[in-house]
Amino acid sequence: MRDPEPAAPKIRVDGVAKFFEKGGGGDAGQVRALDGVDLDIAPGEFLTVIGPSGCGKTTLLRIIASLTDPDAGRVLVDGKAVDSPSPERAMVFQSFGLFPWKTVLDNVRFPLRVRKAPLSEATETAMEFLGKVGLADFAHSHPHQLSGGMQQRVGLARALATDPDILLMDEPFGAIDAQTRELMQEELMRLWQGSGKTVVFVTHDLDEAVLLADRVLLLSRSPGTVRALIPVDLPRPRWDYDVRALPGFTDIRARLWSMLRDDLVFAESHGPGPATAGAR
Amino acid sequence: MSAAAAAAPAVPRERPRLRAALQHAAFALALLAAWEIGSRLLGSALLLPPPGAVLAAMAELTASGELVVALGQSLLLLVLGLAAALVVGFVFGVLIGRSRIAYWTLSPYFSALFVIPTVALVPLVLVWFGFGMGGRVIIVLLAGLVPVLLSVAAGVRDAPGELVEVARSFGLRGELRLLIQVRLRAAVPLLMSGMRLAVGRAVVGMAVAESYLRLGGIGGLIRNYGSSFQTEYVFAAILPLTLLGIGLSALVGLVERRFQRWQT
Ligand SMILES: Nc1ncnc2c1ncn2[C@@H]1O[C@H](COP(=O)(O)OP(=O)(O)O)[C@@H](O)[C@H]1O
Ligand SMILES: [Mg+2]
Repeated sequence: MRDPEPAAPKIRVDGVAKFFEKGGGGDAGQVRALDGVDLDIAPGEFLTVIGPSGCGKTTLLRIIASLTDPDAGRVLVDGKAVDSPSPERAMVFQSFGLFPWKTVLDNVRFPLRVRKAPLSEATETAMEFLGKVGLADFAHSHPHQLSGGMQQRVGLARALATDPDILLMDEPFGAIDAQTRELMQEELMRLWQGSGKTVVFVTHDLDEAVLLADRVLLLSRSPGTVRALIPVDLPRPRWDYDVRALPGFTDIRARLWSMLRDDLVFAESHGPGPATAGAR
Repeated sequence: MSAAAAAAPAVPRERPRLRAALQHAAFALALLAAWEIGSRLLGSALLLPPPGAVLAAMAELTASGELVVALGQSLLLLVLGLAAALVVGFVFGVLIGRSRIAYWTLSPYFSALFVIPTVALVPLVLVWFGFGMGGRVIIVLLAGLVPVLLSVAAGVRDAPGELVEVARSFGLRGELRLLIQVRLRAAVPLLMSGMRLAVGRAVVGMAVAESYLRLGGIGGLIRNYGSSFQTEYVFAAILPLTLLGIGLSALVGLVERRFQRWQT
């Protein structure tokens, strides 16, 4: 993995580890959330991340976003170590993360205004992206007036508004009903395809992981380490045919499931909590 | 606000205004009638002067300019005291809400302040600050401070950490910016209920300051006419005080609605 890649990676995760103090105060010990994660993500790549719950997926994403500092290792973007959040690495949150007191328009304008864009320019850009997610008519609504799917479209428009190179998405469709989720997966692929943006997309849905990905990253159960990186060479665009029916799709899905299943079975029989690292 | 929330637009919760107004008027009339009958049955202007006499006293006080001057003095005191309570309450509220040490060391004193009757503070304030404007403002400040402080503290402590994360992830930096743009903004509903409580207590503090520290304003009128047993003038002074309280509460309500359209 440490060999120089053919193209310079967009994101390099270099020996990242993260420990949390166990709750309840005192020195009850530490939870090892991530341990020695090495990973290169190519420019324009769509990487999905999957793994048993509690394996550190969110923690990995937050470290890439610089919302959490790693206890060891570092994250490089375009070869430079990063240490503070930036709209260049825009986040989309599972619970949408919209400001309830702001209108839809103000929510999308927010990152632009933080960057000191003039109001008229910010408005124009925000409306453009609201248009792209089909919500131009709801610019002056408040988030609570929208359905979950619409709220997440606002979250997506907000993340895209600053034209970031990197999109970080933490189970963005996890709280959305199954049918709307399929629509949004397609919309996301349309927005991403040809944009050159690098996406790191955490999910607990195997189908979703394979459907969207150029590569699927499988994290092992706690502490999270890179268990497998599986390329998905299915033809794109993937929205105008039934990808799920391809043998390629079902093969990859089955491979992932057999690996994931071991960890899930282990977790079921041993309960949650720190496990010994490097068992395999 | 949850994902399950329907896409239905918020239904404005407006009651039929005309009906509400009619109900209020009918109740006020019934009250006036009961008052008139009661005062006739009692037959004592000292215990309960009839409404007509109170109205006459009010007219007299207004004509002589006494009431207007008193109202002006009271209002000034109230505004200064409330403004001071807001400033001090915000500063200490943020401190207590954001710092564990400040919370443990300071909050018992504010809890004590909350349960002490404002009148009991008069001798201390008198000794420390004198009975000039400064002392009176301090009384109103102490009366209104704790509700502001507690609501600010609770607001900035409980404000959704997640939204702070969101703001940070989009590049908003600095504790002060996060405090103003996210924590305090998210806490507005809480702050408003604190303000409501503070206004009520400040009006009481104002009356106390004006009748115990140095006679003046509405409180002074009440005390003056009360000590010479001119009950109709006491009523004539209390009435505008009540209206002041109601008016201020309505003002807070107005601000509240302006800020809270997103809350249903
Ligand atoms: N802020 C935190 N404090 C303490 N423990 C945490 C914190 N965040 C995450 N953890 C722990 O780290 C592990 C990984 O969490 P997380 O990254 O959220 O997993 P995932 O997103 O894969 O479900 C879990 O055991 C979790 O309890
Ligand atoms: Mg997670």
